[in-house]
Amino acid sequence: MHAGASPSRGLAAGVAIVISLNACGAPPPDAASLLKQSSQRMLGLNGFHFQMQISGFTGPDEPVQSAQGDAHPPALHARVNLKEGGILLEVEVIFAAGNIYLKSFTGGWQQLTPDQVAQFFDARTLFDPQLGLFAAMRDTSAAARGNAEKVNGHDTYPIAGQVSGARMHQLLALIRDQGSYRATYWVETQGSNLWRARLTGNLFDAAKPATITFDFSNHDHPVSTTPPPLG
Amino acid sequence: MITPFRPPRLRSVNRTVLLGLTGAGLFLASLDAYVVVTALLPMLKSVNIAVNRPEQATPIITGFLLGYLAIMPVAGGLSDRFGRLRLFAVCLVLFAFGSLLTATAPSLAQLVTGRVLQGAGGGALVPAVLALAADLYPAGDRSPVLGAVSALQEIGSVLGPLWGGLITASSFGWTWIFWINIPAAALLLWALWPEVRAGGEERRPANLDWLGALLATAGLSLLTLALYAATPEQSPVGDGFIWQLPAAIVCFGLFVWHERRTPHPLINVRRFRDSSFTGSALTNAIAGAGLMVALVYIPVLANAVFSMNASSAALLLFRLMLGIPVGALLGGFLAQRLRSYRFVAALGLLLAAVGFLMLSGWNEGSLTPHLLGSPLTVADGELLLTGFGLGLEIAPVSAALLDAVGETERGAGASFLIVMRLVGMLVGFSLVAGFSLWEFHRATAHLIPPLPGLNPNFATQYAIYVLKVKQAIFDEYHLIFRATAVALFIGALLAALTLRPLPRPRWR
Repeated sequence: MHAGASPSRGLAAGVAIVISLNACGAPPPDAASLLKQSSQRMLGLNGFHFQMQISGFTGPDEPVQSAQGDAHPPALHARVNLKEGGILLEVEVIFAAGNIYLKSFTGGWQQLTPDQVAQFFDARTLFDPQLGLFAAMRDTSAAARGNAEKVNGHDTYPIAGQVSGARMHQLLALIRDQGSYRATYWVETQGSNLWRARLTGNLFDAAKPATITFDFSNHDHPVSTTPPPLG
Repeated sequence: MITPFRPPRLRSVNRTVLLGLTGAGLFLASLDAYVVVTALLPMLKSVNIAVNRPEQATPIITGFLLGYLAIMPVAGGLSDRFGRLRLFAVCLVLFAFGSLLTATAPSLAQLVTGRVLQGAGGGALVPAVLALAADLYPAGDRSPVLGAVSALQEIGSVLGPLWGGLITASSFGWTWIFWINIPAAALLLWALWPEVRAGGEERRPANLDWLGALLATAGLSLLTLALYAATPEQSPVGDGFIWQLPAAIVCFGLFVWHERRTPHPLINVRRFRDSSFTGSALTNAIAGAGLMVALVYIPVLANAVFSMNASSAALLLFRLMLGIPVGALLGGFLAQRLRSYRFVAALGLLLAAVGFLMLSGWNEGSLTPHLLGSPLTVADGELLLTGFGLGLEIAPVSAALLDAVGETERGAGASFLIVMRLVGMLVGFSLVAGFSLWEFHRATAHLIPPLPGLNPNFATQYAIYVLKVKQAIFDEYHLIFRATAVALFIGALLAALTLRPLPRPRWR
């Protein structure tokens, strides 16, 4: 009896150890490694949904208040809220086949020239593999991991650090390229998906603070765009 | 149905004070019924919704009406079962909570939820206060008190848009329309608390037709969803119209089937065989739809093309609202004097239809010409006429319906009148909102805005573009007002054909 029971007890103990090890979990990677993993993960996705919200002082040159849509950089399809003389206007944009298309308050789609894009808000760099947000994650200095937090129902580690003004300016030309800005990323504990990113500081004015918040979802959901019919 | 009874405890307290406090609560809630119509654009902006997505404002308006309609059929019975003051207190808390959600809303979803709760809380106050008034005063003295309570509610709803416009245009901003409800409700509850806690009211079992109320609410909610054009550039009705409309019809069918069988129905559906009852119910709904169109579209027109701020837009609408009580008083008097419901009701609806036809001719210069050298403008006269017509029909249509139901069902008939008016508002507005925006998108489908950049003629092209957009907005409004005029003409015809003459007075 005793000899027969021994292997099952051993098995049970082994299972218990495995379970308890899993329960305790291996210590999470350091902040820099988490950011690197998450950056790779986001750059390798087949697509994602995003919501971008700009709050605080945005000044006269920065018309965008918020945007939401689907992207698989450089392809993107989004609805963008612009402020125009104190009111908000929604426009729709598509980045497809190297061109930018806009559908405004009235009428159908029209193709924008590069100088027209530059006058509004050149968002092509936002998710650019070399210049965009996911690349900036790797260039975040003094990164520190906080306690796990739920974001949209997912367990994440908030990682806060600093990004240089020059680097942020590459991400979005309207951001001032002086000083450094605070960046916080919420990286999923399992799978390294980025669920939220927040950039804070005097982004559009030397003395007035502003914040850009990105929320991501539908990670790896395939996204593709085609040029819309004009007119 | 509300059944008056005599609670011994309440009769001993100062009934004027009690009615004053509950009436103040009712006034507070009725102010908020249409308060948002002059605050819609800033409300949308604060939840980050662009001005060119006005369809997203529709649920802010329909949400309140739906909440109001959902609670209305059971509120009278609930006040029988739990006591008028208890129901009043609970609903005032619900109303204040809805106000809190609305004032703090970071998103459209919370804004609409807040409005639904405000509607539900505010809607239940009406039968609770009316029943309390009936409890506090004996049958012979009750009429002026009930009239005063009803007038309080009407005055509140007339002043609401003005109140909302003034606060929105002030440095406080639109959220204070709702913030102010919280301390006001708290103060009223504090003053009423000893009476609420004493629970001196007599309670009696009430036959609540929950299933009937549920089926009616489900049908109306589905109908509202079916008519809600979330993407008016593609469709004038909702995306789920194909299944939501049949589902709504099924709910209404089940409601009628259930009401015919249940011993205590919300409404005696057999009454619909009486053409005077059906005619007055439908006329009432059409008039409600007409009022709602005016309430929503006059302030938006004032904002969008006359570039008025919220308070000026509210004052423009106030001219129309002012005509309503004047018409209502005269309508009651005339119907009695001429001994004809159908003539006065049809005349009122006809005048309102003519008023809407006049409004449908408005363009950019319409607000300035004066009326025969008087300080009033032609636009003032047109607005007053529209409001006057809408007021004139109230008394004869209401009286015709109440006459049709008879003495025993008068309470239910009075509730049904309110319900039908709100249903007309809800359905009429939902239809108009969807179709008008769809038409606007269709009319501007090829109107592409010029873009800056290297375009040397940008300023001129942009000015021409703005003019064309304004014209498209005017065209949209002309269509809305003309469609409303047609509906009101149909209402006038319906009233002329169906309403019975006044019964001969009987002395007892």
